[in-house]
Amino acid sequence: MSVIAEHGGLAEHIHPEPQGFIRKYIFSLDHKIIGIQYIITAFVFFVLAGCLAEIIRIQLMHANGGFITPDTYDEVYSIHGSAMVWLVIIPMLTGGFGNLVMPVQIGARDVAFPWLNMISFWIFPVSGLMLFSSFLMGAPVAGWTEYPPMSLQGAAGTSMWCAAIFLVGVSSTLTGINFLVTMLKMRAPGMTYTRMPLFCWGQFATAPLLMIATTALAAALAALFMERQFGVPFYDPTKGGSPVLWQHMFWFYSHPAVYIMILPAFGIMSEVISVFSRKPIFGYRLIAFSSAAIALAGFMVWAHHMFTSGIAPYMQLPFMVITFIIAVPTGVKIFSWIATLWEGKIHLTSSMLFALGFLVLFTFGGISGVFLAAIPFDLHVHGTYFIPAHLHFVLVGGSLMGIFSGIYYWFPKMTGRYMSEFWGRVHFVLFMIGFLGTFLPMHWLGAEGMPRRVATYDPQFQGVNQFESIFSFIMTLAILIFFINALYSIRNGKKAGHNPWGARTLEWQIPSPMPYYNFKHIPSVFGLPYDFTEPLPYAHLEEELTDSPVPVGSH
Amino acid sequence: MAVVSIPGGGEVDQLYAETRALRLQGFLLFLVSDIVLFSSFIFAYLYLRNSGQGWPPPGVTRPAIALGAVNAAILFGSGATMHYALENFKHGKFMRYAAFMISTIILGVLFLSGQGFEYYTLYVHDHVSWSGSGIFGASFFTLTGMHGFHVFCGIWYLTILLLQSVHGVYDKNKYFGLTAGTLYWHFVDVIWVVLFSIFYLV
Repeated sequence: MSVIAEHGGLAEHIHPEPQGFIRKYIFSLDHKIIGIQYIITAFVFFVLAGCLAEIIRIQLMHANGGFITPDTYDEVYSIHGSAMVWLVIIPMLTGGFGNLVMPVQIGARDVAFPWLNMISFWIFPVSGLMLFSSFLMGAPVAGWTEYPPMSLQGAAGTSMWCAAIFLVGVSSTLTGINFLVTMLKMRAPGMTYTRMPLFCWGQFATAPLLMIATTALAAALAALFMERQFGVPFYDPTKGGSPVLWQHMFWFYSHPAVYIMILPAFGIMSEVISVFSRKPIFGYRLIAFSSAAIALAGFMVWAHHMFTSGIAPYMQLPFMVITFIIAVPTGVKIFSWIATLWEGKIHLTSSMLFALGFLVLFTFGGISGVFLAAIPFDLHVHGTYFIPAHLHFVLVGGSLMGIFSGIYYWFPKMTGRYMSEFWGRVHFVLFMIGFLGTFLPMHWLGAEGMPRRVATYDPQFQGVNQFESIFSFIMTLAILIFFINALYSIRNGKKAGHNPWGARTLEWQIPSPMPYYNFKHIPSVFGLPYDFTEPLPYAHLEEELTDSPVPVGSH
Repeated sequence: MAVVSIPGGGEVDQLYAETRALRLQGFLLFLVSDIVLFSSFIFAYLYLRNSGQGWPPPGVTRPAIALGAVNAAILFGSGATMHYALENFKHGKFMRYAAFMISTIILGVLFLSGQGFEYYTLYVHDHVSWSGSGIFGASFFTLTGMHGFHVFCGIWYLTILLLQSVHGVYDKNKYFGLTAGTLYWHFVDVIWVVLFSIFYLV
């Protein structure tokens, strides 16, 4: 039962609209503006980290490299990975889409702590700049995982890396707390847990991960920072520390972080696939509870990253088995989405195309993940290109496809205008071709034993690598088209009404762009938002689209 | 304006009741994430301690249990005074509240002084240091230092709460700030129970 009563209290507490550019768009307390700020900032870092990726691909065009030095190459892939994980995907999916949509979908006026929300956001660009500034003092060279002892020997930038990731972790933790309280306490009357839209369930499962796992990473980073700056022996084996300790602490965060990066994308999938199939989502409770199951089990599988790190054999087996088990709730979701598509009235909009692409690519990446969970197979391909292949299939083919799908889906809600559907389709086709051409052959390279994170390689792999690099340029072109499309459409896109897709969740029942108060009257909810043949399950929404005055400060 | 009754018989308006519920939940979740921070370092400590080098590692002196016990008693005592401070505030006995609050702050300062003395003894007499004593120095000084930092912040936190209550920010129905301060102080206490056990007792 939510604490928000229909009358009195927060439900009727509407602040006056903020005046002035700075209060409205820069230091805004409005969750929708903050969400858009997150999305824009994350895309800026996405461009930077994407340039680093292209530098990697140019280097790998030739077996002897030669484009950059091996040391620079190490710096480039380390920052590419760190930035994509911590500055792009996590902030975009949680702070970005979570802020933009989640409070409206549960019928609240804002998140629980708007000030905290603003602080969370402003920590994020600062830490991003810190991360990229580490290039100025010698960036970290041990990959995004920064295993000691190599990270202990890295240049001064490694300490900057620790500080930057620590800070962005603080931002994530605060967002997690904020979202969790919002969803626990601020749901509209009648919005029970089993009536929440599935995007909110994705955020609901993610928020505790943000809050708990990120703090564990903070401890690991703080210890690494102290060891590098003050010589406190945690990880250095010559002083009694243990490098494997870092791996435990790092993966205790970073495996749940994998689910932080995918559960909100699952949420986007559930919304998009249901809306564009015009069918109730199949197995609502299964999808909702499997998110929770994944979040819980995500804490029990971290050592599957460490099968080659010398952990005790009796520990390896349970981690392998639980990792197999965690694929089950994920499979439940995939089958639920396929069953939703079954006999649906499918609309192939850009958003839906990316959702369908997600289904294919993510399933592929998920299955190669199950391969990797098997210890004998993992021992064979650990540290080869099979790992980048797998993780790009889940993070690009999963999370990033989810992000694109969400952008096309909610763009009309953010701006009141459509993005071009034609260029959206071009984006999709080029992106799929580029993506598959870049990352599919990596599986073979990995199985053949080409090691990752090395600036040069055996000449026999040169042909495949050149093939991949060329396709990666196609992927870049696709993303360029996406950016031009988005920037152009903000001003010049076709006007969309308040509900262009005929969706039924609450954010589509109010004007586009969403007004600062969200709802003139907090709605009452008496059903799931997925029954497309039934009337809308909401009451008190009659005035939202009319010119009736906003009841400011009427408590 | 809608009115809500609260435990203890008072009444507050609906907006305050709802805001209080949000803040309480948020504060508890903050404490949970703080517990995870400590737990991670405690995990690191257990991992290193059981890495087969012996405990304490050769050539390292452990801190005296007597001083640690006195310090623990001081901190647990401050937990009790904090509890009585809040109880008295709820019942409108402001002077008693202030007295208990001041004693809590003084006990907190005493605890920090005790810890400072302990660090001094270890460093000067036993030559145990943060970076020079292997995994013992690393885990002991990091964990107790982190806890000490929490106590330090708590002292400022309670001082600010005391000044706020002197200026009438809280009344006997609306005192969420004091509840949060009490929760924080008890949290710092409980962490010390764990740290005391793992560093001094076992």
